[in-house]
Amino acid sequence: MKNRSDSVYSVSRLTKIYPGKNTPANDEISFEVKQGEIFGLLGDNGAGKSTLVKQMANLLRPTGGNVSLYGQPLQEDPLLVPRYVGYMPQTARTLNSLTVSEALYFTSHLRGCSRQESKREQERLLQLWDLKDIRTELCSRLSGGQQRMLQLATAMAGRPPILILDEPTNELSPQRRRHVWETLRAENSERGTTIIFITHDAIEAEKIIQQVGIMHKARLVALGKPSNLKKQLDQQLRLELRFQPDSPPDLPPGLQPQELAEDHWMVRLERHQVEAALSGLDLSRIDDFQLNSATLEDLYLHYT
Amino acid sequence: MKTRLPLPVHLQFWDLFLIELSNWRWGWRNLVLTGTVLPIFGILLLGSFARDLGAHALSFVLVGNLVMALLFEHMGKLISHFAYLKMAGSLDYFATLPIRKSVLILAASSAFFILFLPSMFVVLAGGAWILRLELHLHPLALFVVPLCALPLAGIGALMGVSFRTPEEAAATGRLLTILMLTIGPVLIPPERLPSWLVWLGFLSPATYAASALRQVLLGPLASRLLLDSALLAACTVISFRFVDRKMDWRED
Repeated sequence: MKNRSDSVYSVSRLTKIYPGKNTPANDEISFEVKQGEIFGLLGDNGAGKSTLVKQMANLLRPTGGNVSLYGQPLQEDPLLVPRYVGYMPQTARTLNSLTVSEALYFTSHLRGCSRQESKREQERLLQLWDLKDIRTELCSRLSGGQQRMLQLATAMAGRPPILILDEPTNELSPQRRRHVWETLRAENSERGTTIIFITHDAIEAEKIIQQVGIMHKARLVALGKPSNLKKQLDQQLRLELRFQPDSPPDLPPGLQPQELAEDHWMVRLERHQVEAALSGLDLSRIDDFQLNSATLEDLYLHYT
Repeated sequence: MKTRLPLPVHLQFWDLFLIELSNWRWGWRNLVLTGTVLPIFGILLLGSFARDLGAHALSFVLVGNLVMALLFEHMGKLISHFAYLKMAGSLDYFATLPIRKSVLILAASSAFFILFLPSMFVVLAGGAWILRLELHLHPLALFVVPLCALPLAGIGALMGVSFRTPEEAAATGRLLTILMLTIGPVLIPPERLPSWLVWLGFLSPATYAASALRQVLLGPLASRLLLDSALLAACTVISFRFVDRKMDWRED
């Protein structure tokens, strides 16, 4: 492959306007993903994240700009993405007439593994994604969460060097979400797999993201390492308060709470406000409080 | 970097054929109903009218209903199948594998043809018994029967990927099925049709399929079989090329 830098993907001024629409779904987006990087895309619904990754998977034709993989424009070689990328779409209704085992075997084999390798890959993935007990179930009869685990497994079948995952933890229980992030981190650290994913699960994803892109209204509004981006939040801290809904606490003057639930507030504080805020709280009216530095979720909320 | 080479084409075909063949798990009930019961009833109904018209008219009833089963079960199933693949995002799954589109289309067509074969045997044997017709199966049937199915498969796949929703595709498919059955001498002998309908029938692959099937299943073989086969082969090539072009992995 001709590629002078260590970039895997190079996205340049990528624009997508769907037929019949006036506003772009992606507007002049540019960024690079490096070899072995974990790249997370955050953004509100309709921000254009899925459109972006579908273009990176060569499933959508861009209106303008281009996407290169290992230095080669995607449109030049239709086999470029299939040879290097495992893609997990947002919807989960593929291969409905196959069993779980068959789906993993055929995907591995069609990705170029030998028959024996495909069988080994099938067993590895059944084990890795905890699918052993449902190996003979038809894919169409799986629950939403099981379908998602199977989709993750099929994306990884044949060990492609790049994974593109569109909302991998949707519909999953907290335990399974944690398992997904741990497995992806292990895949990245043990095999150097480049992982690009979309998520709304910003707090959990923060543990593995090395570079983050935040999208808002079709544009990439922030890009960089989470630690660097957090510095731009002026050293803000977040104070979370839990209380009985019928007796919310009084806050010191100048502080505005953000209501996360009827019994749960979040207050953003500058560092110099912390002492006054804590000493001014009537702790007898508070069930629980937490003081944290800015998280990826704060970044996401800040930019969107 | 370690990457794998795509599988050889014949192995791609075999995997995709087996994947597509697994559709029997949900499709066998429909196969029994529309692929067998419907044509048998058609034979009973039309046969009662055509009995007095002699063996020639009855041969059109038998083969016409066989073509009807092909249209409903083979072309219709491929319309639904490709429309569903498109709607459910399964085409995206296949698009991100190192396989050829044309191999996927051929594998789906072949698998759905295999799924149709039991219905065809039941309709053929049952229909011949009901109509008291003697079958004269020619070995060329092994070549001609798949050749009749392939252009219909190509048209089915093309319609499946061309419409926005499976519902639109299925409704248009039913309309096309009725048109193909009514124009040209498929169910009714040409001498009993208005001449303009006979002429229109030359535009339909169902006309050539019915003619070819009559010759290899009931006899006698005529030089017309060469023309029918050539036109069916041409329809296959054209429809497969169209569907290959239309089924772009990359959406607009």
